[in-house]
Amino acid sequence: MPKILLVEDNEMNRDMLSRRLQRKGYSVISAHDGEQGHLLACSEVPDLILMDISLPLMNGWDVTRLLKSNPATQHIPIIALTAHALVTDRDKAFEAGCDDYDTKPVEFGRLSEKIDNLLTVKKS
Amino acid sequence: MILQSLSIKRKLTLITMLTSSAALILSALSFLIYDLVSFRHLLIQDLVTQAEIIGYNSAGAMEFKDVPAATATLSALTAKEDVVGAGLYGRDNKIFAHYSRNNNVIPALLPAHSQDKGYQVEGGYLRVFHDVTLNGERLGTLFLQSDMRQWSLRAKRYAGILFIFVLISGLFALLVSSRLQRLISRPILHLEDTMRMVSANRNYEVRATKSYGDEIGRLIDGFNTMLSEIQQRDSALRGANEELQSRTGELEKEILYRKQTQEELLKAKHAAEEASRAKSTFLANMSHELRTPLNAIIGYSEMLEEETRDSGKSDSVQDLRKIQSAGKHLLSLINDVLDLSKIEAGKMGLHLENFDVAPLIDEMTTTLQPAAAKNGNTIHTHVANNLGAMHGDVTKVRQILFNLLSNACKFTDHGTISVDVDQSEIEGRNCVRFRVSDTGIGITAKQKENLFHEFSQADASIARKYGGTGLGLAITYRFVQLMKGCISVESEPGKGATFTVHLPAQVLAETPEPVRSIASKDVTSSSDESKTEKDTILVIDDDASVRELMSRFLSKLGFHVVAASNGEEGVRLARQVRPLVITLDVVMPECDGWTVLRRLKNDSALAKIPVIMVTVVDNEAMGLDLGASNYLIKPVDRDRLAVLVEKHRSGRAASITAASASSSKSNPQQQRRESERRASGKVDHAKDLVSRR
Repeated sequence: MPKILLVEDNEMNRDMLSRRLQRKGYSVISAHDGEQGHLLACSEVPDLILMDISLPLMNGWDVTRLLKSNPATQHIPIIALTAHALVTDRDKAFEAGCDDYDTKPVEFGRLSEKIDNLLTVKKS
Repeated sequence: MILQSLSIKRKLTLITMLTSSAALILSALSFLIYDLVSFRHLLIQDLVTQAEIIGYNSAGAMEFKDVPAATATLSALTAKEDVVGAGLYGRDNKIFAHYSRNNNVIPALLPAHSQDKGYQVEGGYLRVFHDVTLNGERLGTLFLQSDMRQWSLRAKRYAGILFIFVLISGLFALLVSSRLQRLISRPILHLEDTMRMVSANRNYEVRATKSYGDEIGRLIDGFNTMLSEIQQRDSALRGANEELQSRTGELEKEILYRKQTQEELLKAKHAAEEASRAKSTFLANMSHELRTPLNAIIGYSEMLEEETRDSGKSDSVQDLRKIQSAGKHLLSLINDVLDLSKIEAGKMGLHLENFDVAPLIDEMTTTLQPAAAKNGNTIHTHVANNLGAMHGDVTKVRQILFNLLSNACKFTDHGTISVDVDQSEIEGRNCVRFRVSDTGIGITAKQKENLFHEFSQADASIARKYGGTGLGLAITYRFVQLMKGCISVESEPGKGATFTVHLPAQVLAETPEPVRSIASKDVTSSSDESKTEKDTILVIDDDASVRELMSRFLSKLGFHVVAASNGEEGVRLARQVRPLVITLDVVMPECDGWTVLRRLKNDSALAKIPVIMVTVVDNEAMGLDLGASNYLIKPVDRDRLAVLVEKHRSGRAASITAASASSSKSNPQQQRRESERRASGKVDHAKDLVSRR
């Protein structure tokens, strides 16, 4: 059962996304700010991370950079989730080291496709 | 020499006088000499004749040795006043008889004399010797002596007359010459006066008066001509000067006016930019705030729908779908608004990639099939075979097609919608042409005018009947523009409409010009230029125009300028940049200048950076108490500011050299010197403060 870390500060979105992911058969752990997200990623080493960008304490770009520069966590695929659907955000996401990028509100079908893709790539 | 320095009047008088007097004296003298010579000759002749007569008369007496007779003859000389003595000498040259006046001594022997000449002039006396003969026999010699009294009298008289004559005629000459010299001197003096007047008063209107037609007259003519020329030039020059002055004045006014206008424009521009920024930020924040709950609404309704379907309660599924659909509609509206605001803020970039057109059209048709079916429409597509891949922003092309197609579906009832895609060429560029036509309600010519503007649908009633915000076509239009394409519409009311979009087959990367704040711009430039040798000055002021002006002025002085629009940013930049000098405003929102100053001075890393207060607040004591180096009141005296920053620059240069010297050869003496230097710097600073009070 693949383990997904969901870093999201909005409680409703966190609850809704984690429940839907669980229904899809993933094991979900969640964090409500950047620092906690970073700690959990290091301690739990999930198979994939869904990273909101505007987070309290430490933003998603910084967490991503930290994780990608840490040999213990740099292999974990990260999908950035942002409400700002700007081209610059998209570039910024790849620059920070994110493996994929999606905009909020999440279109669940599209997001789970991206998750599946990244997990398959990782396995192979 | 003295003659040369005399006035021309005197010179002329003197010349005339000297000339005439010399002539007069010369002629008078020659006349006198001539007269005296001839008179002397006459006197001699007369005395010789006298001697002949007396000699003749006394011959008998001498023959007979009759002395009394001879003496009587001689006494006839009494009548001749100037004959002072006479003597008759015998053959033996001894005195025979004599005559004397005034006891004149007659020599006893005949005085020696030359025989050939019967007379001699000696010692103021004329002496005549005459041989007394009788019948050819020499009896003796007659000697006459005259004192030439007549001659000397005459000479004296003549000299007196001549003197008086010369004196009178000299005076007369003076009179005449002093009158006549005016003929020459007066016009010259007049000319001189005129010249003096012109040069003293710079009055070129006066003219010298010409009296005669001689050389001086011509000189005056020439002078007058020169004057009138100068006058003309002077007035022309003055005219030009006045014109220049008035033009300069006009120019200055114009410059002032423009400067004011420019400043106003700058302010307006900043205000507009500020407003635009605020609007964009507001929209971005709003859309974020709106999306977050929408995210939950859509997500939970989707989740509920799945769960409901699983549990078999199919009657609730429809309602949950309605929630989803409404949520998605709302989301698309928010996206539209956000898109527009991004475009307006210049933040809409292009994500260019290669993609095939035909599959995209298929995808769009599939996506819009439900919408078409809703109004009983059918979609026909035709994509030209030779159409391969194009290079562009596929998301935006998709959105353009989606907007056009969904509009077509919306405004057509039981009709046909066709999509034609082929190659075209516009202005020499290869383009892809998309044509979307329908058989719907169409658009009137008047409606076309506002078709691509935001929030304008063809008709207000349309909004009620068909829904929508009127943003779709506006966004479509902007996207087409962004990719340097063009869009047009042909329509007839009631018969449908055809939208044609040309997009370049190779879209060029757009470099958007985002609206950036001056502060952020300055920060970026600071990181670029921080490696250069320029000294940095940090300007903290909430007024954008002040920042702009200060930046420009200080940059001209060769400083690198970093600006901050508020106190927080100022302190942060101070830490980051470590500027040479900080200029600080007092009245600022949130964190005022006093607070910033306190924070700077409490930070050990920043405390040494000199702070120049630049403010409208007149509280120098407060500023200096808090540790400001200098205090300038707005409007800033730029020269003063320049002096201050230059002083800090040279001060730092000096301290750098001193520091390097002390580090290379650190000894107590040098350290003491350094501290002395610092102390004198403080004294300078104190003096500076005193001089300003």
